[in-house]
Amino acid sequence: MIQKKVCMVGVFGTGKTSLVQQFVHTKFTDKYHSTVGVKIDRKVVNVAGTDVTLVLWDLAGRDSSEDIGASYLKGAHGIIYVGDGTRRDTVVQLDDLLRVATAAAGAVPSVTALNKIDLTDQWALSVEDYQALVKRGGLFRTSAKTGEGVEAMFLQLATWLVAPKAGA
Amino acid sequence: MDETSAPDLAKLRRILVGEERARLDQLEAKVEDNRLSAERLAARLPEAIVLRAAQDRQLARALAPTVEGAISESVRRKPGEFADAIFPVLGPAIRKAIAETMAELVGSINRAMQHSFSARGLSWRFESWRTGVPYAAVVIKHALVYRVEQVFLVHRETGLLLAQAHPPNLAVPDADLVSGMLTAIRDFVGDSFSAEKEVGGLRTFSVGELTVMVEQGPKALLAAVVRGQAPESYLRRLQETIEGVHGQFPSALAEFEGDTTPFEAAQPLLEDCLVTVLDTDQPVGAKVNWTPWVVGLGLVALVIAAWWTWSVLEFNRAVRALRATPGIVVVEASRGWRTHEVRGLSDPSGATPATVLRAAGVEPARVTQQWEPYVSLTPSLVVARAARVLGPTSVGKPALVLRGETLMVRGPADAPWLARVARRTGWPAGVAGVDLREATPVLPAALVRAGDSLVAGQVLFAPGSAALDDAAAAAVRTAARHARAIAAGLADDGVTVGLTLTGRTDATGTDSTNQSLSRERAERVRRALEGALRGGGAAPVLTTRGVGTREPLSESDSTARARINRSVSFGIRLSIDATPGARPR
Ligand SMILES: Nc1nc2c(ncn2[C@@H]2O[C@H](COP(=O)(O)OP(=O)(O)OP(=O)(O)O)[C@@H](O)[C@H]2O)c(=O)[nH]1
Ligand SMILES: [Mg+2]
Repeated sequence: MIQKKVCMVGVFGTGKTSLVQQFVHTKFTDKYHSTVGVKIDRKVVNVAGTDVTLVLWDLAGRDSSEDIGASYLKGAHGIIYVGDGTRRDTVVQLDDLLRVATAAAGAVPSVTALNKIDLTDQWALSVEDYQALVKRGGLFRTSAKTGEGVEAMFLQLATWLVAPKAGA
Repeated sequence: MDETSAPDLAKLRRILVGEERARLDQLEAKVEDNRLSAERLAARLPEAIVLRAAQDRQLARALAPTVEGAISESVRRKPGEFADAIFPVLGPAIRKAIAETMAELVGSINRAMQHSFSARGLSWRFESWRTGVPYAAVVIKHALVYRVEQVFLVHRETGLLLAQAHPPNLAVPDADLVSGMLTAIRDFVGDSFSAEKEVGGLRTFSVGELTVMVEQGPKALLAAVVRGQAPESYLRRLQETIEGVHGQFPSALAEFEGDTTPFEAAQPLLEDCLVTVLDTDQPVGAKVNWTPWVVGLGLVALVIAAWWTWSVLEFNRAVRALRATPGIVVVEASRGWRTHEVRGLSDPSGATPATVLRAAGVEPARVTQQWEPYVSLTPSLVVARAARVLGPTSVGKPALVLRGETLMVRGPADAPWLARVARRTGWPAGVAGVDLREATPVLPAALVRAGDSLVAGQVLFAPGSAALDDAAAAAVRTAARHARAIAAGLADDGVTVGLTLTGRTDATGTDSTNQSLSRERAERVRRALEGALRGGGAAPVLTTRGVGTREPLSESDSTARARINRSVSFGIRLSIDATPGARPR
């Protein structure tokens, strides 16, 4: 059995927990319970005929003052960065997070979720912001509420985890 | 000039640069020699070291500072790698030394089983018997010191579950999540409370009744979920195991990228950590002397067991007796703790169950009984039913025997009774008809005296004579009176009364004269009797026979013998009319 440790990283309230819930349990709730510490879940996905267990570490989001728990990131095989399209600062901070996470986990395969795309009326990103994001590579427009892009993102990461070269 | 100039030139050169040349050659040879010896040395070095080491410790002494320096440099630069390398070797060595100086006392479940004849053991057995819970489970419930319910082997860096062991039927459905959480908790505690993250870390923590004991190796950690209180010594076992895992899977651990297949082989190592320890070895409440209690309880138990066994045996015997009794069918017999219960069928014509129970020594009141009446076709019961239907005889006790469905009546029975039997048309179940050929009709009780008098009263004759004198005439009249009474008494019962008159003679005279004289005597009495009976209603049928001296009446005195044999005596024949309701003429 192949297992891979995947960490969800992002500013608080961007929808990390919601994305995991949507992916693992196909559930969504409007209620916001901020994660404390870490919450672990898992889902088995099939990549090119082999089963891979994604053990998902849903980390507490950082707020501007304190840092993400670097020790939780240790040994991660893959990272999902999550930004909230309705809060520009959450996207801006992704660069900083990338630096911190890479220091803790090494240069592992990663994807970026630009979340809450269903909230178009509250969209806060400029075209420039968006293009900067695209340059990072592995960008997925997701909605934990409607499920759009969620499965595709996790599967893409799983594929890169099994055959790292393809996505690095 | 060409021929002479060459040697000269060489000579000249020798003069000019001769000294340098020789030194150059020397140097050249030396350089060559040096290179050769390094190559040779490389080839010979191991051999040389071995040789020198065998000679003295000079080599070791010479090398020591360099090696020490190298090691300390290596440790300084890459401490982790060095520790990883020596960990599997060092751990066991250290612990072995400790283990040798420490004696352990750990109870095992096997010992619990052995020591089960204690007061506690007995009470547990009783509880097990009462509740139906297996004995082992009861012991664990009461005597559990600790039980290891899960063992996880977790990859330290990623928190991924490498292998897992648990006792049968104690599986954890989300072991991989637990494994992740465990690592997260450890990381959290490490982050929050400990400055030196790499040293030790979280070793035990409790969740409700469960304690999680964690033993870390460089690459993986072992976590045991323990119910109850595990001793420090158990941590040592975990230590040994995690060292064993590192020793056995060094490369699999180092190169772990998420594939747990290689660690399936670690399963047995983990299973060795699943232990259950009970406190049945150490007595609780140390100062209590259990011996008298045990003996006393044992005696009480013995008495109860004996009483119980005896009552069971007795009841079983009673049930067997019931089963053996015709007309009783035991459908269900059960023993309770104090009362017994029997259910079945009982034929009222047979023995009552209560009688059978009492005869078998069981007080019927102590047995809850439920009997359904039924008709049994057991021959003895068929006969009993027939006997009850037929009622008692006034004289005689005929044997009733069932042959097929025919009721045989054998032996003497009063004639009116037999006549009633012969006339009977309705029979109880199991009887189709009756056979009276082996039955002997006798006079009913009311007529026995008359019959006796009749048979006893002889008509006597003078020697050689067949004439009836006065006494003889009187005897005939008496006989007539009795005969009439008998005939009258049986007139309505369908019985035909016959009187046989047997004439005899004394021993004097020839046989032929005696024969005709005896017949003559019988005929004379018959005529007289017929006369006496005439016109008096019911009368018996008379037959005569003369037997001469062939059937003499016995008497010890010869004179008296002669006298009683000059006589006619009366015999009564009773016969049952074949046709039902038939009456004598
Ligand atoms: N409309 C909409 N709401 C979302 C979406 N994703 C998350 N939310 C909401 O955003 C809020 C925060 O979501 P969470 O998933 O708890 O965010 P988080 O990143 O786990 O937050 P922390 O645990 O505090 O770091 C919740 O009220 C969610 O319902 C989305 O895609 N669309
Ligand atoms: Mg959350």
